[in-house]
Amino acid sequence: MTVSIKAQSVGLRYRILRPLTLRPKDKRLLKTGGTISGSGRRQHVQALEDVSFELSAGDRLGLVGANGAGKTTLLKMLYGIMEPTSGSLSISGRVDALFNINLGFRPEATGRRNIELRGLINGWTRQQIEEAMPEIIEFSELGDFIDMPFKSYSQGMAARLAFSVATTLTPEILLMDEWIGAGDAAFQKKAGERMNALTGQAGIVVLASHNDKLIRRVCNKVLVLEKGRVKKFAPLEKKRA
Amino acid sequence: MRMTLQEVFKGALAEIASGFRRYPVWVALARESIGDQHRRTTLGPLWLVLNYFLFAGAFVVVFGHRNEIENFPAYVATGLYVWLLMSETINMAVPLFRREANYIKGTTLPLFVYVMRLAMQTVIRGAYSGAGWIVLMLFLVQPSLEQWLMAFAGLAVIVLALPAVITIFALLGAFFPDFEFITGNLVRVGMFLTPIFWIHGNDGGLRQMLYEYNPFTHFLAIVRQPIISGELPVMELVLCLGISAFAWVLAFFLLGALRKKVVFVV
Repeated sequence: MTVSIKAQSVGLRYRILRPLTLRPKDKRLLKTGGTISGSGRRQHVQALEDVSFELSAGDRLGLVGANGAGKTTLLKMLYGIMEPTSGSLSISGRVDALFNINLGFRPEATGRRNIELRGLINGWTRQQIEEAMPEIIEFSELGDFIDMPFKSYSQGMAARLAFSVATTLTPEILLMDEWIGAGDAAFQKKAGERMNALTGQAGIVVLASHNDKLIRRVCNKVLVLEKGRVKKFAPLEKKRA
Repeated sequence: MRMTLQEVFKGALAEIASGFRRYPVWVALARESIGDQHRRTTLGPLWLVLNYFLFAGAFVVVFGHRNEIENFPAYVATGLYVWLLMSETINMAVPLFRREANYIKGTTLPLFVYVMRLAMQTVIRGAYSGAGWIVLMLFLVQPSLEQWLMAFAGLAVIVLALPAVITIFALLGAFFPDFEFITGNLVRVGMFLTPIFWIHGNDGGLRQMLYEYNPFTHFLAIVRQPIISGELPVMELVLCLGISAFAWVLAFFLLGALRKKVVFVV
């Protein structure tokens, strides 16, 4: 099976489900991107509209756009958290995502236990978790901290652990939202090398970021979103880290 | 976009099947949650046993004075055990999806995984306090093997209904935030309206209505009656199975219809 993503006129429109509540009505708009239409209890958000693009093995797509342009929504749709309400989206390949460093990590549990839990959430078998454990620990450079509670980790340590777990079992399609730009330079270099290796193994990377330098360094294609619509989808000049 | 009944049915079936397949996730997360709750304590989950003893003891002392109910301590201790199991489940189910919002918005885990995780957590907590209940019963009643089997059959009916009840309350809690406070109050009042420490005297009136039309009465009876009187309450058992079946049907269709919308409201 060839790894690929094919989006044809994909759209996501949902009704703003204001929670049923006895409180007085809140007139402020919800903190959301996209275009809001309608009034009263019949308001809808057009988060994505007519989004079309195709990616194949080896592609590294940079998702660019202002806050609320639909980058995270598109990533979540590619991951399967939200389903398109129009158009068609076909994805071939095992997808993993890094949206939030702390997601799936339990503060009281040790790094080791968190690797097990994160692996289970990702759908790995016990054997896969055991086999991947030494490599994850080594790549994350946590050393003896691996048996300390996750809550004692710095932001950088948490990011290293999250990245190691997400990339050790070599996902065929890796989705990342912004945070990879955080952390120290050494970690960024190491992460960049692993992403290159990943795409070298015929994978796809989709990275949403405001960091133009990072996008230019990591990606070979760029998709610019504006108010949920594609403004530009084009190749980028490749600049390896 | 309106969903057809077939889409609702297919969606619910896929959701529940996928949730069951991911059992290593909910078993691990449930164990982790129980561990987190007691991680820094000296007694650990044994606090659950101690809490139950304290609660049951207080009820027996306060309400047992001149009480004419046969074997009142066992009556109260069993009723309280079942009530705590059910009421804690409802209280924890209502905010379930909002509590798991980060996971729901960041992973593709089926919603039923969170439901089963809470059900598993309830079973583990129930097993700890259940150990206290068993000790009390051995001390107060010395039930026969037959009585134990009948009581455990009643508990099994309750456990089978848990995922359905959690699904219904979690969905209501996700779409109707005030529901958390409504159920919180109803559960507090429900403790006194449910015959945990009282019994009606066939004299009609509101007290008898509360006894007979309160579904919790029957769930208490299917565990308590075998222990207290040694009889299998067939009518109550059939009624509880019917309520459980209804809860499953309701949960099934609610899940099928609302599962894709939850991510937008939590």
